[in-house]
Amino acid sequence: MNLAAVAAITRKDVVDAIRNRYLLTALATPLFLALLFHFLLPGGSSRNLLTVVVHDSGSSSLVAELRNAPHITVVDAASADATESEVEKRKAIGGLVVPVNFDSDVKAGKQPELTIYINNKKSTFEQAAFRQLLDQQIKSLVNYPEPAHLVWIDVDKDPDEKARGGVGLNQMLLPLLLIMTFGMIGALVVPLLLVEEKEKRTLDFLLASPASLNEIVAGKALTGVAYSLLIAGVLLFTNRHLVGNWVLTSLTILVGLVFVVTIGLFMGSLLNNTMQVNTWASSVLLVLLAPSFPSLGLPAAIDTAMRFIPTYYLTEALKLALAGSASPRIWGHLAVVLISTVLAFFAAAWSLRR
Amino acid sequence: MNAIEVEKLSRAFNGLQAVDNISFSVASGEIFGFLGHNGAGKTTTIRMLSGQLLPTSGGAQVAGCDVVTEQRRLKPLIGVVSEHQNLYERMSGRENLEFAARLYGQNIRRVDETLEQVALLDRAKDNVRNYSNGMKQRLLIARALLHRPQIIFLDEPTRGLDPVVGREIRRLIQDLSQQGVTIFLTTHYMEEADQLCGRVAFLSEGRIVALDTPNALKVVHGQNSVRVTLDDGESVSISLDDQDAGMQLERLVNDGHVRTLHSAEATLEDVFIQIAGRKLSE
Repeated sequence: MNLAAVAAITRKDVVDAIRNRYLLTALATPLFLALLFHFLLPGGSSRNLLTVVVHDSGSSSLVAELRNAPHITVVDAASADATESEVEKRKAIGGLVVPVNFDSDVKAGKQPELTIYINNKKSTFEQAAFRQLLDQQIKSLVNYPEPAHLVWIDVDKDPDEKARGGVGLNQMLLPLLLIMTFGMIGALVVPLLLVEEKEKRTLDFLLASPASLNEIVAGKALTGVAYSLLIAGVLLFTNRHLVGNWVLTSLTILVGLVFVVTIGLFMGSLLNNTMQVNTWASSVLLVLLAPSFPSLGLPAAIDTAMRFIPTYYLTEALKLALAGSASPRIWGHLAVVLISTVLAFFAAAWSLRR
Repeated sequence: MNAIEVEKLSRAFNGLQAVDNISFSVASGEIFGFLGHNGAGKTTTIRMLSGQLLPTSGGAQVAGCDVVTEQRRLKPLIGVVSEHQNLYERMSGRENLEFAARLYGQNIRRVDETLEQVALLDRAKDNVRNYSNGMKQRLLIARALLHRPQIIFLDEPTRGLDPVVGREIRRLIQDLSQQGVTIFLTTHYMEEADQLCGRVAFLSEGRIVALDTPNALKVVHGQNSVRVTLDDGESVSISLDDQDAGMQLERLVNDGHVRTLHSAEATLEDVFIQIAGRKLSE
């Protein structure tokens, strides 16, 4: 293997892909979505806190609870009149003006007036989270008996799985974004890297150079691996508080990117021009992405069909690894992805030789 | 020693014989012309001789390497200029050559030398997509020269270029030949082949139908004639191959109506038409 030739092709493709607006868009989409969700969804990271301004002259238990709530920063306003301006100044999600004797009035059933300010410049996600939080806190102030005692039991819960405080939206989005990254690389970037060489006839130059076909393909594959690692790395780093088991998560990502790069090589060997790639990429991307979408209560037949898509197992492995699980199930999932990779590799090798 | 030795080389695609049992040799430092219609098998031959395509049967030695079994040793010894301007258009001229230098394991400093050789050093930083056709063609030749190959395959190097740039490219080819580089040239321009090539081969439907020096081909296959213009403007062509050519000419001269008289040697194109049955551009 002429490693210098492989490195030269990878280096050229890494730089050239950034100059190709189409490829750049494909590569940047998962990062853009991650950035978008990062700002839209509260509680996504330690930096993403809700700030609430309060004027509480009576030291109410409501404000005390808020001060103890995770992801909430409470800022005190000097007076009731200053609360609104403080909300704007602090760019807080909202503000509360709690009257004196609030706690005792609640207990006495007097329904005291609680003034709440909502900052409309904040996202609807944050506003909804703030409203839900206040609703929960106020209900907790009264010992109102619940109409029924709810017993929640996790069905099919992995016994080895670490206890965690429920799955947040960001925890569901991270596997989706990672699979999307893999999908973009596999369905679009790697096939285009190969097809463009065919279409522009630069493949003739490469084939006449000291690089063999295997080395050319290895160079393209390495470009896909490099971009997958870069984007997955950025996604994991920016969501590092969501990664429970770094070793297993990294291993799952490595297995996943080898799978998608092989799929990309197979597509690139079959297709002959950019238009064909564009036509097929959206369908392949949709199939690869489908199992990673949070469950939407789909019919059983579709749910079963998802299990024939290798990214279903990749998604499951990612979810377990991100949750910090070291369950044996993760190895089963990874084995399925690896077997799929071997099959895709043979298909790509056959197609390239052809 | 011959730079290229081809022995009964054939290539078929889906049952269609693109190259059919051709044999020839090219001496070191020679400019060898390979002429034929579109689809005659010229590019397929170049692809086989440059290790891009395996022959169906037969074989060839290029720069002392077997094109089937020694491709890895062969490729650094040859340069190929494709009939297509297959450059990386989002990259600059220098970046294109730097990439080629890395592929061929050459020192990057060689890039500027080569760019200077083809008079592109001052435009090296420009994006290739902003280059003219002539500049792209010069860059293609620079890329093929970068690693100082022994043999260069030039597939239609002057096609679509204006006469001035075409002349520059021909001068470059002659310079390379003088430096000892063997040139394997395909072209549609018969004058170009006549001017540049030591020998030419005519390819028709995958087979070599004639191979010799241009002059020898013209002598053997061409019809030399005399064109006589009479006083009334009428032009008469007399083939010197005709048995009574002398008598015809004498009669016209004796009649006293001859205004001008010119010899008309066969051109390479005439020879090609006679052998292949139609013009090269058809």
